[in-house]
Amino acid sequence: MRHLAQHPKLTQFGLILLAFAILMYMAGDYYDIITHSGTFNKLVASGEIAGATGFFESLRLLLNGTLPPQFVRIPENIVWGLPELINSSLLYLVEDLWKITTVDPVYGFEKNTTVIKEFTRGLAGIILVMINFIREFILGGTKTIASVMGWDFIRDTKASWPALPWPAVAGGAFLLGYSLNGMKLALLAFIPTVYIAIFGQWIPAMETLSFILVAAPVSVIIGLSLGVLAYKVRTVELFLTPLLNVAQTLPHFSYLVPVVTFYGVGDQAGAIATIIFATPPMIRLTILGLKQVPPETLEAGMMSGCSKRQLLFKVHIPTARQDMLLGVNQVIMQCLAMAVIASFIGATGLGYDLVVALNSLRIGVALELGISIVLIAIVLDKLSLAWANKSVDYLAELPFHVRHKHSLMFLAILALSIIVATVVPHISEFWGQMFYLIPENQGFSTDVWWDKLVKWVVVEFRSYFQIFNTFMLVSVLIPMRDAFLAMPVVATFTLVMGVGYMVGGIKSSLVVGGFLLFIAASQWWDEALITMYMTTFAVVASVIIGLTVGVLAARNTTATKILLIICDTFQTLPSFVYLIPVIMLFGVNDVSVLIAVIMYAVIPCTRYTIEGLRNVPPSILDAGDMSGVTKWQRLIKIEMPLAFPHIMLGINQTVVFALFMVIIGAFIGTEDLGRLIMGTLSKANAMGNGLTLGLCVAFIGLAIDHLIHTWADKRKKILGIA
Amino acid sequence: MPATYGITDFILSNLLMKNILENMNIMNKVTTMAATAALSMAMVTVSVPTLAADSSEPIVIPTHNWSSQIVMAHVIGQIFESIGDIVNYTPSDSQTVYESIRQGDITISHEVWESTFGASFKAALDKGGILDAGTHVAKTREEWWYPAYVAELCPGLPDWKALDACADKFATADSGGKGRYLDGPMDWHGQETLDRIDALGMNFVAKFAGSASALWAELESANAAGRATVVFNWSPNFTDAVYGGDFVKFPDWSEGCKKSEGGDGKCGSPPAGWLKKAAHDQMPVKWPHAYKTFTNISFTAAQIGAMAAMVDIDGLSAEDAAAKWIGDNAKLVASWTNS
Amino acid sequence: MSVQQPVIKCDAVYKVFGENAQKMMRAHNGKVDPQAFAEAGCVVAVNNASFAVQKGEMLVIMGLSGSGKSTLLRCIARLTDTTAGNIFINGVDILAISDKELIQLRRNKMGMVFQSFALLPHKTVLENIAFPLQVKGKSTKESMQRAMDMVELVGLDGRENSFPRQLSGGQQQRVGIARSLAVEPDIWFLDEPFSALDPLIRKEMQDEFLRLQGVLKKTILFVTHDFDEALRLSDRIAIMKDGIIEQLDTTANIVLNPATEYVRKFTAEVPREKVLKIKAVMDPVGDTSDWSELRVPADAIIQTVAEAVIGERKPMAVVDANDKIVGVLHAAKVTHVLFGEKSALENSG
Repeated sequence: MRHLAQHPKLTQFGLILLAFAILMYMAGDYYDIITHSGTFNKLVASGEIAGATGFFESLRLLLNGTLPPQFVRIPENIVWGLPELINSSLLYLVEDLWKITTVDPVYGFEKNTTVIKEFTRGLAGIILVMINFIREFILGGTKTIASVMGWDFIRDTKASWPALPWPAVAGGAFLLGYSLNGMKLALLAFIPTVYIAIFGQWIPAMETLSFILVAAPVSVIIGLSLGVLAYKVRTVELFLTPLLNVAQTLPHFSYLVPVVTFYGVGDQAGAIATIIFATPPMIRLTILGLKQVPPETLEAGMMSGCSKRQLLFKVHIPTARQDMLLGVNQVIMQCLAMAVIASFIGATGLGYDLVVALNSLRIGVALELGISIVLIAIVLDKLSLAWANKSVDYLAELPFHVRHKHSLMFLAILALSIIVATVVPHISEFWGQMFYLIPENQGFSTDVWWDKLVKWVVVEFRSYFQIFNTFMLVSVLIPMRDAFLAMPVVATFTLVMGVGYMVGGIKSSLVVGGFLLFIAASQWWDEALITMYMTTFAVVASVIIGLTVGVLAARNTTATKILLIICDTFQTLPSFVYLIPVIMLFGVNDVSVLIAVIMYAVIPCTRYTIEGLRNVPPSILDAGDMSGVTKWQRLIKIEMPLAFPHIMLGINQTVVFALFMVIIGAFIGTEDLGRLIMGTLSKANAMGNGLTLGLCVAFIGLAIDHLIHTWADKRKKILGIA
Repeated sequence: MPATYGITDFILSNLLMKNILENMNIMNKVTTMAATAALSMAMVTVSVPTLAADSSEPIVIPTHNWSSQIVMAHVIGQIFESIGDIVNYTPSDSQTVYESIRQGDITISHEVWESTFGASFKAALDKGGILDAGTHVAKTREEWWYPAYVAELCPGLPDWKALDACADKFATADSGGKGRYLDGPMDWHGQETLDRIDALGMNFVAKFAGSASALWAELESANAAGRATVVFNWSPNFTDAVYGGDFVKFPDWSEGCKKSEGGDGKCGSPPAGWLKKAAHDQMPVKWPHAYKTFTNISFTAAQIGAMAAMVDIDGLSAEDAAAKWIGDNAKLVASWTNS
Repeated sequence: MSVQQPVIKCDAVYKVFGENAQKMMRAHNGKVDPQAFAEAGCVVAVNNASFAVQKGEMLVIMGLSGSGKSTLLRCIARLTDTTAGNIFINGVDILAISDKELIQLRRNKMGMVFQSFALLPHKTVLENIAFPLQVKGKSTKESMQRAMDMVELVGLDGRENSFPRQLSGGQQQRVGIARSLAVEPDIWFLDEPFSALDPLIRKEMQDEFLRLQGVLKKTILFVTHDFDEALRLSDRIAIMKDGIIEQLDTTANIVLNPATEYVRKFTAEVPREKVLKIKAVMDPVGDTSDWSELRVPADAIIQTVAEAVIGERKPMAVVDANDKIVGVLHAAKVTHVLFGEKSALENSG
């Protein structure tokens, strides 16, 4: 007893587990029903079993040691009507509210529409014009400029703006990098451009670029504005915070259909979905940055005689720029991460080509396209960072040609490459194309090698994979899945709210309970349990792998650097790239899904472990060494405890990554929420289903997020590093 | 204007926006030339005085994620361009596309598969805003399918009883010793598959792939390892040319034989499904020439297969493949645009 | 003395923090009892401050943290709103002027130096210094040239293109000083400008400050928590405690005649001979005829001349920089400073 009293947390946990076990046992005969996903609801609907029993009957059942059905699965309730409510509300907004009639200016037929629809389509139109304008500037064409400026003569004369030859763009990238931050950045901008060109991905890459060059700045501007507004107006912040939480955990696929309904399909719709996804981190980091500006700096601005506007734009925002630049970096990464998903609703470019390549099993091509996406992300990130940190020499009295030497050099390169692109085709058609715009099928490609590699692995190792597969499925995954499904809903609540109570008291218990209640009350609890099972497995595996790799790598500076680069690459590489090879090696089953999920979810855990360990103050390590600890003791007793709050944030990210990827795993074939969300894609009127399912996923994420954050904050306070 | 709202400025600016959009598109520049050359003769000799001129707004053609559809999109697009229309290609989901056509965001769909998209298409037709623009010559088929080499592993194929007899050869780690049939996504026709296995008492379980890509990955993997596999597939498809193979022969389909239609469920899929074309309901007014041409266009299964092969096997880009196809079939194309 | 309008004039200034501040002020008819206010959740940061600073004069506001010295400075700069009272700058009630006028006032008349330097991290030294000029709308060329002059003034030549993060603390504060002086303000606010610096650098910066002030002759409000710094830099000191100005007087009077027990605590440990100047202990020129041979500069610190002065029996002439006699020094006064009240010699003084 004394032992128990000394460890109150352990006692609490023991009690929770005991209650959980009893409740699991009390599910009794329901086991066979609930371990088959969806069966319980089906049987209730067909009347074969009761969905709920009355008070006295329930009491009788409980006294007999069995759970009444409403304790096993929550019966049909008001939440089941939510999808339809959301759906009809959105449709009402876009199709019935504030109706107007427009007349086609040429053909005279009337069109019934609504103000909201016209407004959203108009907005989409503006975005499309911007994307096409940049696109035509790089890839050639005059349609946009002609229609915006009303230059009818262009259509009449068929005047045309040719594409920029790729050497000109590569040269421009080089010069831009050079003028911003010297030779290193110049090469960093130049080499990827050349890669993209000679691998024959010029057109899709420039399509993606033009898309990003609109989506990213718009996200940054919206994020910045909302962030500033939230900082200035407390109510806006209170309103935005939960929205941001949900937006950052909502699976992308759940809001694609609403975007299509409001904004149509095409690059503009893809851009808008991307903006929805990329803006939240910008808002968050803007608020954070603004809050961290020291008051004295603002006072200095005021005493310098700044007007309110000057104070905001010249002092406050620039001083918060470290965090905001992090926001810009996040926006760029998120935009490129969306490249593939945006193609589902009409975005052209690398993402779309990647999906097509995968669909015709051209794994190597898909990989090369994926690498292009990563490279564009890196180049844009580094260039924007250098641009933001650039300094100007005001006093140097430079003559025009020196001051503008980079612009002049660009013009020279442009002229030269245009001449080359014009002259060479007369000598050789092949080389003419090579110096102008290398078409997709003429570029260099390692495609064949990758395909051969995958096939070789399939042929040589398939039998080993088969053994691994059978073991995993039969001994681990299927039992684990059944165990999750076998939980009566009260047991799940006992466990989750109990853990919530241990971590953060009554408040946390209620918060996680609330999130869970929404999911449990929806008609998709079984599917949610499968999502939870896969997420749990993937998170546990990712954390074990991430911690191990992180701990090993953190000991060595070179290993750290290499691993962080790998982390960056894999975070931007579209996860779709490895879906297909994984299926080929492991087949269409949960093993494939989980391997793909782990490949993606292991990234943040590894990164944060390395960062956490490397940021342990050296003085503490020295103190430890002086106390004579061994290496192992040092790791376990000093480094890990101190780094753990930071690592927990990484695990938090791992959870979100795993959730997102489990949903994408539906492309392989799953039976969880992800499959249902994918299913809504094909039903134009399933906005409500998609969003409600998305909320279920988001709430799983937010519940875990709440627990981890509460725990990490407490821990940080104890360690005095809050 | 019949407008009865007090926000004239807003609407005007919106119309201006529309004009801008109308005049835009991004199209390929180089490859259209071949098509134009092939069609120029037809253009000179033909005039259609009864129809008004086509709108200068772009016709939006959807591209989905399989080769034949993309090449066909470009074939049709290049034909439209040759008769003076402006064309935009927009990637889109093969299911949501019908709603987009209804809304006017997309103008046509040229591959409406009966069994896969029939429901979405019908739903859109009922709501209005979309037209049935005729049927291709090509007949479609969708059924359990195996690549050619599997016939040697399981003698007696394509009969379903033979398949059932060697079910163990199709077993996987998670099939519990039974044969595993890899179906398309559950939403396509999952219940029907389960019903059929149940009704015929087959020694098989159905696993639902999440996407067509997953089907092809399984097929390629099995092919590389020489392993027996049976998957959902359709024809015409690129697999015809790449792997060869055959559909499993189930008891003949008859009207109403499916369980969902009240039958006993002991039957295969319909032997021949239609492949239709759909168009936005304003297309005949706005692009009368293009619409007329579109209703004339009709591909055979062989032509569709050839288009896919140009990309999947010969490695041409979709634009080039389309231009080449038009060049190879100039007469046929001329007959579509002339009549 | 000519009746000159003071540059800064505070008239019964109050600053009370807390939601009910205004209500409490009204309820108490302007009579502020910190105890009662604290019970209502209000903190009285400045309690009835009244003083004036003349043109070219420097006032040091000295107090420990929480004494309200920085708040008082911020009230005068109107960085915080004053709860009650009047503040006049050159006769203008700055609490009554519009935001626009305030901006104009700051753009043309005020400069301020901050404890944490408060430089803009994204701007170079030159851009930071030029910032107030650019905000004012001066052309880039003009402001950069002026800023370069300021760079030279504070001795940062060669570092003008550095970013603040690349500079040491002392250098950063030089930038802060240069920035505050860029618009040639009449009034110079310094809020603990040297507190964040190491002792050696602090001393160096104080010297630099004295040099600058010798050249520029600004009207200065200087806030510090360091009594030694206050003594070293200024002739007039206001000592604050709990929002109240305990004593506002010349250095000499504060050291020699502390008005309250609180002030005495500060002065007790002060080595007066090292702080006081001769002019603090001299007497007015009377009818002395029997002059000593020794002539003493009025600005000399007592310690530096004590050895020579202390044995002198005759009254000595005290002279200013122009060698004009401004007072009379009796050796006994110096002895008093050196050995304090307990000295036996005191009685003879």
